[in-house]
Amino acid sequence: MKTYRPLAPVPPIAGRILDAQLHLLDRQVLDNDGVPVTTVDDVELSAPEEETVIAPGTPAPIITALLTGPVLGTRIFGGRPPSSRLVRIPWKDVADVGVVVRLGVSGENLESGWVERWIRDKIIARIPGGRHDPR
Amino acid sequence: MKRVLGVALGILTAIGGFVDIGDLVTNAVVGSRFGLSLVWVVGVGVLGICLFANMSGRVAAASGRATFEVIRERLGPRAGLVNLSGSFLINLMTVTAEIGGIALALQLASSVHYLMWIPVAAVAVWLVIWRVKFSIMENVTGLLGLTLIVFAVALFLLKPDWGALAGQALAAAVPAEETASSYWYYAIALFGAAMTPYEVFFFSSGAVEEGWSIKDLIQSRIDVLVGFPLGGLLSVAIAGCAAVVLLPAGIAVTSLSQIILPVAEGAGKVGLAFVLVGLVAATFGAALETTLSSGYTLAQFFGWSWGKFRRPAQAARFHLAMIICLLIGMAVLATGVDPVLITEYSVVFSAIALPLTYLPILIVANDPQYMGEHVNGRPVNVLGMVYLVIILVASLAAIPLMIVTGAGS
Repeated sequence: MKTYRPLAPVPPIAGRILDAQLHLLDRQVLDNDGVPVTTVDDVELSAPEEETVIAPGTPAPIITALLTGPVLGTRIFGGRPPSSRLVRIPWKDVADVGVVVRLGVSGENLESGWVERWIRDKIIARIPGGRHDPR
Repeated sequence: MKRVLGVALGILTAIGGFVDIGDLVTNAVVGSRFGLSLVWVVGVGVLGICLFANMSGRVAAASGRATFEVIRERLGPRAGLVNLSGSFLINLMTVTAEIGGIALALQLASSVHYLMWIPVAAVAVWLVIWRVKFSIMENVTGLLGLTLIVFAVALFLLKPDWGALAGQALAAAVPAEETASSYWYYAIALFGAAMTPYEVFFFSSGAVEEGWSIKDLIQSRIDVLVGFPLGGLLSVAIAGCAAVVLLPAGIAVTSLSQIILPVAEGAGKVGLAFVLVGLVAATFGAALETTLSSGYTLAQFFGWSWGKFRRPAQAARFHLAMIICLLIGMAVLATGVDPVLITEYSVVFSAIALPLTYLPILIVANDPQYMGEHVNGRPVNVLGMVYLVIILVASLAAIPLMIVTGAGS
């Protein structure tokens, strides 16, 4: 029988503690202009390879990216979508986590915005007045 | 001075925007069958919508988050999607009913069959959503909707026996020729018509559209607390007119022309002209609000870019969703199904779906992470809990009562 080493105690951390479930999942993501981009569906961690022995003193995994994409189905009915379905938003692009997740980059070039861009370019922008500023 | 004008305008649009096809039809049906014996429900409903509209406005101003973003965050994707499906379908039903209402009102004004007016109404609704500024849209339809005051004027001109009316209203009892179950069925319908969830989606999203901050809250509170009860009085006047003219004549309301019959009798041709303008404005305004609400709910749940303050191209999925909703509404109406019937069902289904909307708002309004120092006070919470119980009871009782009474027939 395998015995498990007790986990190392949580190291003292300066600053805020985020609960992934409470503060990240399903949060609205805004770009640097405040335009909604998507919602957070999952979090990518820097995990070691599977089946490797984790040496004592290995630093804790860190968040490498927020994941989104058309994965609501698997989140509701269970299972795991193939990685190709997930769209990554690298953690270095995240500027702030509050009641919304703010990015420090424009949403225009993010991969997660392609559906919006497709509908804009193929349908909405072609209807007269589609680029009219209401203000 | 500008401040005073702003408040006055807000109150007037809140009154004019309060009544929609659901209120019109339900109040007239109830007035023609139960007199004023269900007026207390309008009071309960108006107090409830004041409470929760205010709360959702405060959530939007304090956190910048509209209702459905919050619903997904708090309930998670699974319960959130169930909630979205329910709210969205009922909202779509209301969109259909409102567009049908515009077409019926235009039929009354023009004698051209309402099916011919449906595409006109739907395209007009879309054009306004596509092009017109949010504040202008709100103010114009709200002010024109004020012409529905003619129902109150007509009630006075009909010179009813006020003592008898007050007696019906104060000593509420089930009329002899009606059953208790249909009385309670219509009580739920009236409650659902007054507290329709779309008003909350629209109110909180509108607060984001207009960029409210905490400072604007006082104005919105006055608008709601003065405007909605006065709008509720309009509802009562509609029921009163029906109770005075239609109840003694034994006419149970099944069409829009019967709803305006007492106005024609009391206030003549001028009254008729006013009521037709009011009907078109009220249904048109509500069609705009419900169509936008269907876009809001979808966009906020899925995290799309939304809002009329953006160019349509900057909120592409939001605008496409609304176009599709209008097309579906048109397709349903094109089958020839009676818009008044759709309305009657939509208010009862609204009542069933009420807890889906109001529970998450109450939870978030108590969450300091979103609200900071602006969390609910104790009196508001007590009142909120009382209403939650009422809402739950109404929601659970609606379907059994619908089956027992054969949908009130």
